[in-house]
Amino acid sequence: MRALRAGSLLMRKDLRVLVRSRALLAVLIGYPVVIAILLAIALSGGDRRPTVAFVNLDAASGRTVQVGDERLSIEDYATRLEDDVDLVRLDPAQAEEALADGRVSAVLTVPRGFIADLQSGLKPPVLQLATNPRSPIEAQAIERNLESAVFRLNQALASAYVAQVLNLVDLIQDGGTVGIFGRAGTLLGLAQSDRVLRQVQAQLRADGRGGLADRLDPLRDYITGVGDNLELAKPAAQAIASPIRLDIREGAPGREPLSALGIAGALVVGIGLVGVLLAAALLSAEREDRVLSRLGRGLVGPGTIIAQKALLAAVACTAVGYVLLGVVALTTSVAVGRWLLWLPALLLAGLASGAFGLLVGALARETRTALLAGLMIALPLAVIALIPGNDIAYWASALAGFGPAARTFQGLLVDPEVASSTYAGMGILAVVALVYGVAARVALGRRMHS
Amino acid sequence: MHDALLRAHGIARRYGSFEALAPLDLEIRPGERIALTGPNGAGKTTLLTMLAGVHPPDAGGIAWSDVARGHVGWVPQRPAVYPRLSARENLVLFAGLEGADDPAGTADRLIARADLQEVAGRRAGALSTGTLQRLNLAVALAGSPRLLLLDEPTGTLSPDQRMRLWQWLDDLVAGDGMAIAFSTQSMEEAAARADRVLVLGRGQLLHDGPAGALDDAAFLALVEDA
Repeated sequence: MRALRAGSLLMRKDLRVLVRSRALLAVLIGYPVVIAILLAIALSGGDRRPTVAFVNLDAASGRTVQVGDERLSIEDYATRLEDDVDLVRLDPAQAEEALADGRVSAVLTVPRGFIADLQSGLKPPVLQLATNPRSPIEAQAIERNLESAVFRLNQALASAYVAQVLNLVDLIQDGGTVGIFGRAGTLLGLAQSDRVLRQVQAQLRADGRGGLADRLDPLRDYITGVGDNLELAKPAAQAIASPIRLDIREGAPGREPLSALGIAGALVVGIGLVGVLLAAALLSAEREDRVLSRLGRGLVGPGTIIAQKALLAAVACTAVGYVLLGVVALTTSVAVGRWLLWLPALLLAGLASGAFGLLVGALARETRTALLAGLMIALPLAVIALIPGNDIAYWASALAGFGPAARTFQGLLVDPEVASSTYAGMGILAVVALVYGVAARVALGRRMHS
Repeated sequence: MHDALLRAHGIARRYGSFEALAPLDLEIRPGERIALTGPNGAGKTTLLTMLAGVHPPDAGGIAWSDVARGHVGWVPQRPAVYPRLSARENLVLFAGLEGADDPAGTADRLIARADLQEVAGRRAGALSTGTLQRLNLAVALAGSPRLLLLDEPTGTLSPDQRMRLWQWLDDLVAGDGMAIAFSTQSMEEAAARADRVLVLGRGQLLHDGPAGALDDAAFLALVEDA
């Protein structure tokens, strides 16, 4: 009871001191929030469209290719690619210079004979892509973008080709005029052939030449068999054109392209820095104000001081977290949701980073040292926590609770149902808070009584 | 226990291999004014911090009388108050931490006793050295102490501030039986302000006797022999 009363008195004192120290408040809360917002914008800007130089060496041919009902030119091809990248039409020299200067991220070249190869169907036409070796990450992104674009174009072409082949199958079965890959002609068709044979057999039998007519039966059987097999080939051909189809349903257009990674990153950095800096500053200030000897005489135990400051840091982190989430909910189309589940996640993240800051504060001799040390340790760990899918980065940043916090926040933002990994992340945060809280209590106890 | 506020038996303290205070016995009675003096590093502050409960002794123990248990005021050498809180807010806070039923009322009484009315609303960090030391003392009184322990209370004060502080301390303790134990570098101050003087040297208790029983030559001989 006495510890609770002492804790609440210190809590009120800390709040009063913070309100009066506007510069300190700006450093402890304003600075992390600004860094968090900038980070969110930076991380969300990663999906910008790359600019690619487009060099058409086959333009002089002026050729087009008939695919089904469509007649495709190089420009049509380029227009389709522009769904994924911004194309700048340049000649080879200009394109090379632009790539070297970094004005374009890659050069896409259509070689001579591209349309001819496409038209002949004998060998697949080849596009050439040159990327900037100085930007390997961006180069990979462009390669993925263009692979995706070429895949979708190929899929469209394959569907058109298959449709054309199926038309040909129909022609073989039913007869008619054929035009494919530039060749034209008239086909009799299997059905018509069968009818002609039947007539011939009937005429032969009428002429008393039944033996000769019977010899034509295998030919009719062959025609029937081919027709049946071609009927079976139709769905198989369609399956080859699109073995797997991806059904994409686009949502309503968003107001702001903030990604879940960006929001989670902003929360981790914001909460992490607020927790570490606030707790480190509050505890080291007790020492700097020389009141620890007074408090340590049985007025307040080190455990109460640690618990009170960890709680204050956690509450501040939760408030900052909810403010950031509120901004996200108001200004973007990202569905934050789960407002209640965010409470334990933010509190535990605040407790973990606060406990880490308390250890720094207990070890530092003065507030400035504590703030500098807290910033130097926390900032890189918070950034490391944002590296996706890397276990080493996760566990390194877990030293201050940032890795588990990042995964928990992403889980709450992205997972359609709260996964066990999200609760596991909260559990790790609780363990981190406990470990650093105990370590900070031991360090503070030594400071107070040595 | 008779009428002693505390009785220390063989209390000692080491910092690593350095013996800050050799085993020492001490008894303090109500109303006593005890001066601890001696050269730097003699163990004065170590003894006071152990009596105050800031640092536990490595050996020995301290037995408190019922009236003194939990009623010891501690005045560290450098003011230990929150500079961003006002003088009154500091007093309310520490009165609350001491368990006062009415922290605000206690603070107002301490403000009057310490003559801090004019600066009660001013931030502690903005107070003059002498006024800040008065606040430092007033905070130590928040727990209604029966024994007040002061570590060189006048060490940072000018002669006039020193004189005023002692006048105020004399008024403060007059008549309520509060015992005082203070450390000082000045033999004159010890003789003038205490009725019992303890001389420490290199962690040893060299002398424990009435004020005035030790002249300058005897004091020098004691500390030089230590």
